[in-house]
Amino acid sequence: MNKASVLIIEDEPEIRKLLKAVLTNHDYKPVFAETAKEGLKLISVHPPEIVLLDLGLPDLDGLEVIKHIREWSIVPVIVLSARGQEQDKVTALEMGADDYLTKPFGSAELLVRLKVALRHAHNSKQVHNAIFETGNIRVDMEKRQVWVGNEEIHLTPTEYKLLTTLVKHAGKVVTHSQLLKEVWGNHSNENNHYLRIYTQHLRKKLGDNPMKPQYIITEAGVGYRLIEAKE
Amino acid sequence: MEREDNRPDPDQLLGKIAAEARDFARGKLKIFFGCCAGVGKTYAMLSAGHQRLVDGVDVVAGVVETHGRSETQKLLEGMPIIPPLEISYRGITLKEFSLDAALARRPAIILLDELAHTNAPDSRHAKRWKDAEELLNAGIDVYTTLNVQHLESLSDLVAGTTGVWVKEMVPDSVFDQADDVVLVDINVDELLNRLSEGKVYIAEAARAQAAENFFKKSNIIALRELALRRTTERVDAQMDAYKSREGISGVVSIADKVLVCIGPDSLSEVLVRSAKRMATSLKAPWTAVYVENARHYRLDEEGKKAVDSYLCLAERLGGKAVILQGTNALEEIIAYVRSNNVTKIVVGKRNQSRWREIVFGALADKIIRRSGTTDVYIVTGEATTKKDVGYTSELVHFKPPLYFQAIFIIIICTLVGIAGRSIIKPIDEVLIYLAGNVIVSARLGRGPSIMYALLSAACLNFFFIEPLYTLEIYDRSYWMTFIVMIATSMVITSYASQLRLQAIFARKRELYTQTLYAFTREIAATRGHVGICEVAARHILDATHTNILICLPDKEGSLTPIWGELPGWDVIKEAGLVQWCFNNSKIAGIGTDTMSSSSALYIPLVTSHSTLGVLGVIARKNKLPFSAEERSLLETLASLLASAVERANAADTAEKLRVDAESERLRNTLLSSVSHDLRTPLASITGSSGIIVSDAQRLSQEEFRELGNSIHQAASRLSRIVSNMLDVTSLESGNFVLNKEPYFIEELIGSALVHMEQVLTSHAIKTSAVADLPVVDMDGVMIEQVITNLLGNAAKYTPAGSTIQIDVAKEPANIRLCVSDNGPGIPTGDEKKIFDKFYTAGQNKAGKGTGLGLAICHAIITAHGGKIWAENKPEGGACFTFTLPV
Repeated sequence: MNKASVLIIEDEPEIRKLLKAVLTNHDYKPVFAETAKEGLKLISVHPPEIVLLDLGLPDLDGLEVIKHIREWSIVPVIVLSARGQEQDKVTALEMGADDYLTKPFGSAELLVRLKVALRHAHNSKQVHNAIFETGNIRVDMEKRQVWVGNEEIHLTPTEYKLLTTLVKHAGKVVTHSQLLKEVWGNHSNENNHYLRIYTQHLRKKLGDNPMKPQYIITEAGVGYRLIEAKE
Repeated sequence: MEREDNRPDPDQLLGKIAAEARDFARGKLKIFFGCCAGVGKTYAMLSAGHQRLVDGVDVVAGVVETHGRSETQKLLEGMPIIPPLEISYRGITLKEFSLDAALARRPAIILLDELAHTNAPDSRHAKRWKDAEELLNAGIDVYTTLNVQHLESLSDLVAGTTGVWVKEMVPDSVFDQADDVVLVDINVDELLNRLSEGKVYIAEAARAQAAENFFKKSNIIALRELALRRTTERVDAQMDAYKSREGISGVVSIADKVLVCIGPDSLSEVLVRSAKRMATSLKAPWTAVYVENARHYRLDEEGKKAVDSYLCLAERLGGKAVILQGTNALEEIIAYVRSNNVTKIVVGKRNQSRWREIVFGALADKIIRRSGTTDVYIVTGEATTKKDVGYTSELVHFKPPLYFQAIFIIIICTLVGIAGRSIIKPIDEVLIYLAGNVIVSARLGRGPSIMYALLSAACLNFFFIEPLYTLEIYDRSYWMTFIVMIATSMVITSYASQLRLQAIFARKRELYTQTLYAFTREIAATRGHVGICEVAARHILDATHTNILICLPDKEGSLTPIWGELPGWDVIKEAGLVQWCFNNSKIAGIGTDTMSSSSALYIPLVTSHSTLGVLGVIARKNKLPFSAEERSLLETLASLLASAVERANAADTAEKLRVDAESERLRNTLLSSVSHDLRTPLASITGSSGIIVSDAQRLSQEEFRELGNSIHQAASRLSRIVSNMLDVTSLESGNFVLNKEPYFIEELIGSALVHMEQVLTSHAIKTSAVADLPVVDMDGVMIEQVITNLLGNAAKYTPAGSTIQIDVAKEPANIRLCVSDNGPGIPTGDEKKIFDKFYTAGQNKAGKGTGLGLAICHAIITAHGGKIWAENKPEGGACFTFTLPV
């Protein structure tokens, strides 16, 4: 199997060391850049398959880096940030980052995020799967049918749209405004309040207890994430 | 019994100490004093300066008028000169002394000729003696020259002797407080000789008017006598001061107090000066009093301005200026005399016509009758030098509607008389007209009333007295009726209009009192500087219809407007003036001696301890200065404002001290707590990793994992401590902002449980929630943090296998979330303490936590307007509950 190359743009040597150990052990090929400029150069010279980007770089704001990358590349970007920077995370996601990891993070979490991001990158090149399954739920996007266990459930058009949007980004976090835009359209006046209520309805119909969620997880201050089936 | 007269009065001692302290910082003022131009003052000053220069003292010449005379010019050689400031005024370039250059240069001694000089318009100070004051305050010694005719209290005497009025005057206080006065004297004949030789320069202004009159031998002798006498008085005063300082007895302390009553006419100026001279010779404090009664409101602008100027004069001469308010001048003055233990009253008696004196009496005579033991000194005089004071008669404000109303009332009275002719006799009709007159004079004022009186007499004659419908009279006795009727009408008119004025006056006074009362009450209830400024701005706007600004020193000590903006186009100049007002604690700006061309009046906010800031009252559009009553109101408001600001400052200081003490305590606790909490995991990491580094080859796979595990655990713990500490710091600093969004509380519980999965593996989790919970606005990240901390706590303080239960309930105005367990519970009595910072259950159990988790929860929930508390369940186990308002 070809090792996936991961470009890590991170100025802390200790974190670089750690990531190197974790990634090498799990069949990735880490490439390091210490500054934003170096990172941007590397992306253009040796395009990696995925980028891990620290938001607090010395030479350029992490959000600026995402903007530059997105001007000419669709390489998946996972943002590394500290807790409490929810607004930065949301901005990063809305500017085109694919996911985020909050420091300090465990290696297991990192590997899951990497896998999800890579899969989405591959999927976007091919055709979408018509059928999505996680846990007890099956969504047939061709027939527009949703099944919980053996029973088909009926969703309103908005709930269905909400579910398929989450499915399209399964495993990744989707921000509130992304959801609002995709479900209600660009110029909608709807707000977070509606989103909360529709999500709550959707959860109820999917048989997902919000206090012990199996499918839809609330990422406070950021958005929602649909959990994929554990492999 | 003998009185202990020798014991010095404590106030006096304190004053002496204060004076000595002031002397220490202040520069010394040396005045070269002479009787007139040409005696050699400038020469003497330059010689003295030169001598000091030779001694090696830093002497500079600020202003020296040599008038091109060679002897004087020669002395100026080798002395540094402060370059004059060139001010162009109406096309002429004036050379003026540059005060700022002198202050920047900071010499030890500065020579400043002609202390009485009037500066060019737009200079900082109108008078040079004020420049000298500022230099002295800056610690610079000043040598200066002065002629006797420029001394304020003597100016009328000089004018009386020589017939020349001098405009340029120096207050006596400057002269009296000078550290050294050198009398430069010269024989009269010699002076006249020098004059004839053309050695005396005569100032441009004086030349035209006075040259030949002024320098008459008799005049010079008189002036010389005045100068000598004034100097002797000073020496006497110094002797007394010396004796009192050294405690030498025999100095009779006289508790005299002089009061001078002034009015709007020019005699008042003479009165003020006489009072000053009397007070000086008695070494007594003195007060100039003006009674603001109903008549005051009839004064024209000139008159009001004159009163202001006499009060100002009194203040300049070192007296106190007081405005009394009341309807009866005599009563007010007597009351003031009694309550202030005044011993001598100076009062003027105008040369008025004999009949006026008989009819109205003179205030002076009334005062003598009522004064009791107080001595009364009468100064007679003709108020001639200036135009006599005008009272605006009400007739001037001719208002036709009022006259028509008066005519209307006459018509009614006449009609009543005509209609009831059968029963009403002419004499009764007189009463009807008089009744009408009462109404007219009370309602419509003096003018219409006088017209009514005359017209009603005519009507009476025309309509009611035989022969009817003519103005002729058969019965002579009716003449008497007319005279009595008109006289009665006039008396009614006079009293009624006086009553009206008194009512107006009472209203004004009421307004004044009310303003003060409302302001005092409101400002006492206001906290914080901005609130105080707002109250002040509102009240002053109400009272004087002007806007204000308030400047207070900021943290660096530079004055910044915290309310309003600096007025006018030259903001830098205004700012400079504000600074001056603040530094010198003196009123400045429009209508004062200092920069009256400014666009605002600046009043220092002075308390007993210090000057706290400056209140600026922006001038009205017409740029008219504020009247004396407005100024006295503003100054009173300023002093109230000052104490309010002082209170606010004190509150700030107390708050800052409290915060400082709190954060000091916090820092200490943090240090002691953290040093322990950080060291333990760090020791574990250092130890374990040390073994791996040195003995890697010899370690078995199992040992390796063991060490890695302990490093991992210690590091997670460290990470938790650090993030908790950061949270507490940011919450404590108070500058975190809640990012409220709508959430269902259940989803945050879900999200917290997902994130806590690792920690909670060995515990059973149960959740329950009522249906239909509302969406609540909250900061999701923070509330999740609260739930996480509560769950983490429950996991930490209960043994493995325990059950943690999360319940959500709904109350009318809240949602309530409760995290409970079936563990050992909270130590009894600690239910409240556990939310304190650095509390950990069982203080000795190492490795439990930093004791910050619950403090963080408390801060977050409080910020949301909710409550959090802990209790032990009756069946055992702890229960942590918080509420969030819906």
